[in-house]
Amino acid sequence: MVSQAVVVRPDSPHNYPGTLGNRPIAVQFHAGSHYVALRLLEGYLPAEKIKLVHCGSPRDRFEAMWTGEVDAALVMEPWISLAEKLGCKILCEGHYLGAENASDDMDEETFAAINRAVERAVDLLDADKRKYLHYLIDDPRHAATLKQYGGLTPEDFQLGRLRYVKPVPYTDEIVEDTYNWMTRWGLITDAACSSDLVDNRIAEAVSADD
Amino acid sequence: MKKVVSEISGAVFSLPWMVAKDHGFFEAEGIDMEFVTTVPTGKVARTENPEDVNPILQHTAFEEARVSIYRA
Repeated sequence: MVSQAVVVRPDSPHNYPGTLGNRPIAVQFHAGSHYVALRLLEGYLPAEKIKLVHCGSPRDRFEAMWTGEVDAALVMEPWISLAEKLGCKILCEGHYLGAENASDDMDEETFAAINRAVERAVDLLDADKRKYLHYLIDDPRHAATLKQYGGLTPEDFQLGRLRYVKPVPYTDEIVEDTYNWMTRWGLITDAACSSDLVDNRIAEAVSADD
Repeated sequence: MKKVVSEISGAVFSLPWMVAKDHGFFEAEGIDMEFVTTVPTGKVARTENPEDVNPILQHTAFEEARVSIYRA
């Protein structure tokens, strides 16, 4: 589970999402920042005034915001903490569920073993998140850029923003609600059907055992 | 040991996997877990049209069957 935030520069005239109509907002299309932007902004703006611009990676979205190329950017951690440390304003933010995407040839036993290992790690994270923030700070893909902007320490993070939960199947209700939302926004063709896309045998088995 | 190759994108997404690997939790389950790191896209051509962007994004290793699992 990850949070994406709408961030603006410290000197930005924007103080809430309602003034971002027709203003460029950096996202990565077909990824969390794209979908969370629509979910958050549709509560403040009519669809035709939401102007999203594909700017790629979180680092590039952050820098597009920082340099003034766009008015706002959708970013996740550690970029949210960096933005806050630099005085940027968070206009709104939202968590969303991720998914594990496994290839057809991965057997159920292996997938279950992987999940058991991940669950043990989630227990460690829940016990002391700050202990593991160095993974986010030292990620080689952006560590140099974070340092360029003054760097981050584990104390710069709001721990409540980081939520790690044990893997569970999506419920049919979540799939159906998400499918309907995506078709409404034209993000998936309505020729597809949620029951064609998802086979929830695992969830049904768990339910039958209750 | 069962060999599994996983794509790792941003650490915020994969943190439990990184912790599990460094604490030997995969190994304890009989999984020899290898991580393949995605490469950031770098500066991309700006567009306001989602149809201009390949939805596979940086997950090419999965599409090419070089990794068997990733998270998004």
